Amino acid sequence: MMTPTSDCFVSVIAPLHNDADIVEAFLGDVAAVLAAHYVNYEIVLADDGSTDATAEKVVRLLERTPNLRLMRLSRRFGRDIAISAGLDTVIGDFVVVMVPESDPPELIPQMIERCRSGVGIAYGIRAHRPAESPFLSLGTRMFYWYFNHVLGVDLPRNSTDFRAYSRQSVNAITRIKDRLRYLRTFGGYVGFGGQPFVYEPRPRRPRVRGRGPGEAIDLAINMTVANSTRPLRFVSLLGLGASLVSGLYALYVLILRSLDRDIVRGWAAQQVFLGLMFAVIFLTLATLCEYVGRLLGEIKDRPLYFVHEERTSASLLLDPDRKNVVTESL
Amino acid sequence: MAELDAIFVGGGFFGCALAAHLRERGQDVVVVERADRLLTRASYNNQARVHNGYHYPRSLLTALRCRVNFPRFHAEFADCMRDDFEKYYAVATNGSKVTAAQFRQFCDRIEAPLSRAPAAVRRLFNPDLVEDVFAVREIAFDAVRLRERMAERLASLGVPVLLNTEAVAVAQAPGGGLELVVESAGSRETLRARAVYNCTYARLNKLLVDSGLEPLRLKHEVTEMPLVELPEGLAGKAFTIMCGPFFSVMPFPARGLHTLSHVRYTPHAEWQEGPGLPARDPYAVLASAPLSTRFPHMVRDAERYVPALAATRHVDSLWEMKTVLPQSEVDDSRPVLHRTDCGLPGLTCVLGGKIDNVYDMMDSLTATVSTPGTQ
Repeated sequence: MMTPTSDCFVSVIAPLHNDADIVEAFLGDVAAVLAAHYVNYEIVLADDGSTDATAEKVVRLLERTPNLRLMRLSRRFGRDIAISAGLDTVIGDFVVVMVPESDPPELIPQMIERCRSGVGIAYGIRAHRPAESPFLSLGTRMFYWYFNHVLGVDLPRNSTDFRAYSRQSVNAITRIKDRLRYLRTFGGYVGFGGQPFVYEPRPRRPRVRGRGPGEAIDLAINMTVANSTRPLRFVSLLGLGASLVSGLYALYVLILRSLDRDIVRGWAAQQVFLGLMFAVIFLTLATLCEYVGRLLGEIKDRPLYFVHEERTSASLLLDPDRKNVVTESL
Repeated sequence: MAELDAIFVGGGFFGCALAAHLRERGQDVVVVERADRLLTRASYNNQARVHNGYHYPRSLLTALRCRVNFPRFHAEFADCMRDDFEKYYAVATNGSKVTAAQFRQFCDRIEAPLSRAPAAVRRLFNPDLVEDVFAVREIAFDAVRLRERMAERLASLGVPVLLNTEAVAVAQAPGGGLELVVESAGSRETLRARAVYNCTYARLNKLLVDSGLEPLRLKHEVTEMPLVELPEGLAGKAFTIMCGPFFSVMPFPARGLHTLSHVRYTPHAEWQEGPGLPARDPYAVLASAPLSTRFPHMVRDAERYVPALAATRHVDSLWEMKTVLPQSEVDDSRPVLHRTDCGLPGLTCVLGGKIDNVYDMMDSLTATVSTPGTQ
C-alpha cells in the first residue's frame, strides 16, 4: 500500500459534456491516483451544459468522493471555456487538465513531476492519431504546417488538452481574456517553458467522438483568426502588389496607346485583369470580415461563462455504521 | 427542588442572555450547562464577528436587523469589543452573487458606513479577481471576556448556574408544568419549572428526541476555522471577500490571533435532521470524526485574492458544530428560531445564528411570557 508522500497541492480539472456513461469510472481512477500520491488535492469537474444525467451522477458521487468540486456552467460554452472556468477557481500549486474520454489518470504523477522540475507547461502529445478519413488527415496536416510555418504560432502537432500547468503559468493564462479561447495555443504564448509529453490515449468509449469536417474547418478558421494577424498582413501586401500591378498595367496601356491607335484588341487582357482584381478584393474583404467579427466579439466584453452552481464534497464522509453506534450510546 | 419559572438548558450566549433577561423581569430562573464553564462551544468557537449588516446583501431584513442591533450590542458589551483593526470588504469578479455597484447600493440602503479602500490597500488585492475593495466598520468580540461578563451578570442577578450538569429529558409534570431530568457526576435529579428553554444549539434535537418528542428540521455542519498569524504587512487588517465561495479573515481577540474561514472549505461535513430522518448527536460526531485540517486549501485560495496572505501561519483550528435552519440556506437569511410549545406546552426551542440577534429574541420572548411574579 502506497502512502501519499508529496506535499505539493495538486488540482485536476476535467471538462464534462454528456459524459454520464464514463464519469464514474473516470472519477474513481483519478481519485485513486491522487489519494495514493498526494496529501492535498482537489478534483474540479466543469460540466459544460450536459443534457444527459452527467450532473446528477456527479452530485451523487460528491457524497462519497472527498475533495471533489462540481461547477455547472449555465449552458454549453465549449470545452476550452469550461476548462478556463476551472482554471479560474483551482487552488493547486500544479494543475492537470484532462478529458475523461481519452486521458489516462495514471499519468498524472509523471506530468506533475515534469512541472515540479521547472517546466511551466507539460503538454500531452498523442502517440497515435485515431483512424480518420484521408481527407481529414490531409487537412489536419496542412493546418499544422500552415499554423507553425506561415502564421508563426507554436502549435505542437497532435497536441491534446491533457496538460499540466505550474501555478505561474495558470496565473498567466487566466489573465488572457480572449473570448475565442484555444488553450493549446496559449501555452506557447505565455511561455514559461513548455515540454511535450508523449502518451498513448486510452479511450473509455468504443468510439471516441471526433470532429466532423465542418467542425474541423470552423475550428481551423477560428484558431487562425484568434492567434495571428498574419493573414491580414498578407492580404494587405497582396492588395499593395495588386495596386502596383494595376498601376504598371495602366502605364503599359498608355504607352501602347501612344504607339498604336488600334487598341480594341485589348479586351481579353482587360477581362483577365478585372477578374484578378475582384479576386483580390473579395479575398481582402473576406479576411477583413473575419477580423471585424472577432473585434466585435472582443469589444462586447461579456462574461466568458456563467456558473449555474458550485458544489463541494464533504471532507468527512459520515459513515452510516458510525451513526448507528452514536444512536445506541445515547 | 421548588418549582421555578424557567429553566434554560444550555449556558451559551443565548441561554445566558435570555435567562438574565427574564430574571430582570422578576422571574425565578436557572441555567443548566454540561461543560465546566459557560460559553464554551459555538459561542466561543466562531468568527467573533459582530455583524453590521454587510454580510447579507441578499437578505435585507437580516441586514437591517444587524444594523439595528449592532449599536445596542456594542453599548452593552463595550469592554468585550475590539475595533482596533481596519476591515475591508472586497467584491470578487468571478462567481460573486453581488457586483461592486450592487454592494455599494445595498450599503447605502441599510445606511452602513462604506468608503472606497485607499489605493495602498487596494494594491493588496489581485485586480484580476477582485472588482473593488471597500473600507467598512465591523467589530470583533473577545469571547473570553464575554464569558466573564456573562458569568458576572448572572451572579449579580442571582441566577443559579448548574455547571457540569447535562439535561437528559424533559416531560410533562403531573399537575402542570414541566419536569427536567438532569444528570451531574453520575447522579440524576429532577427540576420542575413552568417553562423550559432549550438553548442547546447543535443539541436542540438531542434533547427533543431523548424526551420522545419530534425533532426540528435542522442542518448541521462540522466546521473548521483555522487560527492563524497574519504576515507582518497585513497586521491590523481584516478581509472578507463577497459574495460566494470565498473567505474571510477576522481577528480572534480571545487568542490574539485571526480566524481564516472559507465558505467552501470550512464545512467538512453536513447532514439534515428532522422528522423521519436519522438522529445523530452532533457533539459525538465531532468528537469521533477523524479531523484533518483544510488550512492548505484555504490559504491557497486566499492567496490568489490577497497574495500577501501566502505567508499566513497556521497555529491550530477551532472545530465546532454549526447548526442552521434549512430554509435559511436558500435566501441567505439568518433568522432566530423561537418555537414555543415544542411538543410540550411550556417547552420552547431557541436557535440563534448570530450573537447580536439576541435582542430580537429578547423582544420576542418578552412578548410570549406571562406577567412575572405570579409564583
